[in-house]
Amino acid sequence: MELLAWIKNLPFSTAIAASDSIWWGYAWWLFVHAVGMGLTAGIAFIVCLRVLGVGRQIPLSSFRILFRVFWMGFYVNLLSGVILFMTDATGIARVWELYAKLACLGLALGLLSRLRRFIDSDQSDGPIPPRARTLAYASILLWLAVITSGRLIAYAVEAKSAAV
Amino acid sequence: MPPSDLVHLHLLLNHFPTVGMIVGFAVFFFGVVSGSDDQRRAGLAVLFIIALLSLPAYMTGYAAERALKTMPDVSPEVVGVHQRSALLALMFMEATGVLAWYGLWQRSKGRARFGRLNTAAVLLVGSLTIGLMAAAANVGGEIRHPELHDSTLPAPAAADGLLAPRWLASDFITFYQYSHPWAWKTLETIHFMGLCLLFGVVVVGNMRLLGWMRNAPLEGFHRLLPWGVWGFVANAVTGMLFFIGQTFQYINNPAFHWKMLCILLAGAEVLYLTWDEDLWTLGPGQAPRALVKLMAASQIVLWVGVIFFGRMLPYLGNAF
Repeated sequence: MELLAWIKNLPFSTAIAASDSIWWGYAWWLFVHAVGMGLTAGIAFIVCLRVLGVGRQIPLSSFRILFRVFWMGFYVNLLSGVILFMTDATGIARVWELYAKLACLGLALGLLSRLRRFIDSDQSDGPIPPRARTLAYASILLWLAVITSGRLIAYAVEAKSAAV
Repeated sequence: MPPSDLVHLHLLLNHFPTVGMIVGFAVFFFGVVSGSDDQRRAGLAVLFIIALLSLPAYMTGYAAERALKTMPDVSPEVVGVHQRSALLALMFMEATGVLAWYGLWQRSKGRARFGRLNTAAVLLVGSLTIGLMAAAANVGGEIRHPELHDSTLPAPAAADGLLAPRWLASDFITFYQYSHPWAWKTLETIHFMGLCLLFGVVVVGNMRLLGWMRNAPLEGFHRLLPWGVWGFVANAVTGMLFFIGQTFQYINNPAFHWKMLCILLAGAEVLYLTWDEDLWTLGPGQAPRALVKLMAASQIVLWVGVIFFGRMLPYLGNAF
């Protein structure tokens, strides 16, 4: 807990938390996090939909480039997520929604990298094996869970702060 | 934008849904009867544009309501009936807009024909919308046109009930959200899911138009478009529920005005891109013309703008 309080009280964290600036303050990093979410979960949805048969005219191999955009979004969100966490480390660390989000995110990344292995393989433009379809369904559900738990963090922190 | 400008905007826009709906429906109907595909497409395009314009027409109504509330000869009951009937009409109008877009999309699918089911749905939902819009406009006219009043008839009561259900009242929706704390959280979560789906289609589709994934034919990306529209529908429904529940956090908020402007511009571009049937027949290795590329780039900018102004709602201005 002392470490979390130290993080929260760093000059950088307090400056972001207290800033009204829409270009580098708390609001800006919320916006950046939303764009990163759109890039990661959005591209994951489209890749999964293609695996499930939507837009089957697109060779799956041409989607390989999308993983670069996906990882760009992921690193943007890693950075913005860490900064948002730092602004209220003690509050955010005590809600279970954070850990649910991280667990779902870890699983979603694991499934997507297995799906990527198929997309990177020579067989990706052939028939889609049932295993890849199962991975796609599970990925969609996990990304929905990441969005849900992520969205609920703010409400949970607010409720916990009000209760203290 | 000052509140008085929003009232003017309402007076300017509030004729579009009724008149535009009738014009669009008539063009489409005579296109069906005469077998003219061009006329049908034109009718669907008008219906789509009117569905877009109906959003600010409805929203600015709240600014007009606030301005009228202080006037002595205005009945709050009549204003309430107008709001409820307008919201019901708006729901049908937006459904017509989605069906109209879907009709244009089906046409541009490469098969160059309209779906029968879609045509029947546009005719059915469109004709219901005309009736509902007329009812809402009629009550709207009662608010401030004393020459229309017949003192022997309880005009607003006649339009109450089925055409202006109580559960569509702004106060009821606000109260429901306050008394059910999970409601707002659920709407927010769905709003974010819709955002991801829509943004995913926007990024991937426009990347292809801009020159990435060139070995793929555009036909496949065309099949992704309805998923983007479903994402938008989820966001429009949840977004309207936020707006109605907490109207004055939005209506006087500059971030919200910019957000709506970005949505309307992006919507107009979506119509243009759907309308362009030749675009979606481009095969592997083929690139669209420069104007389409420009639109693809601006689509990404506009939707990032929608996210930016959406996130800035509590931070720009002092409406929250």
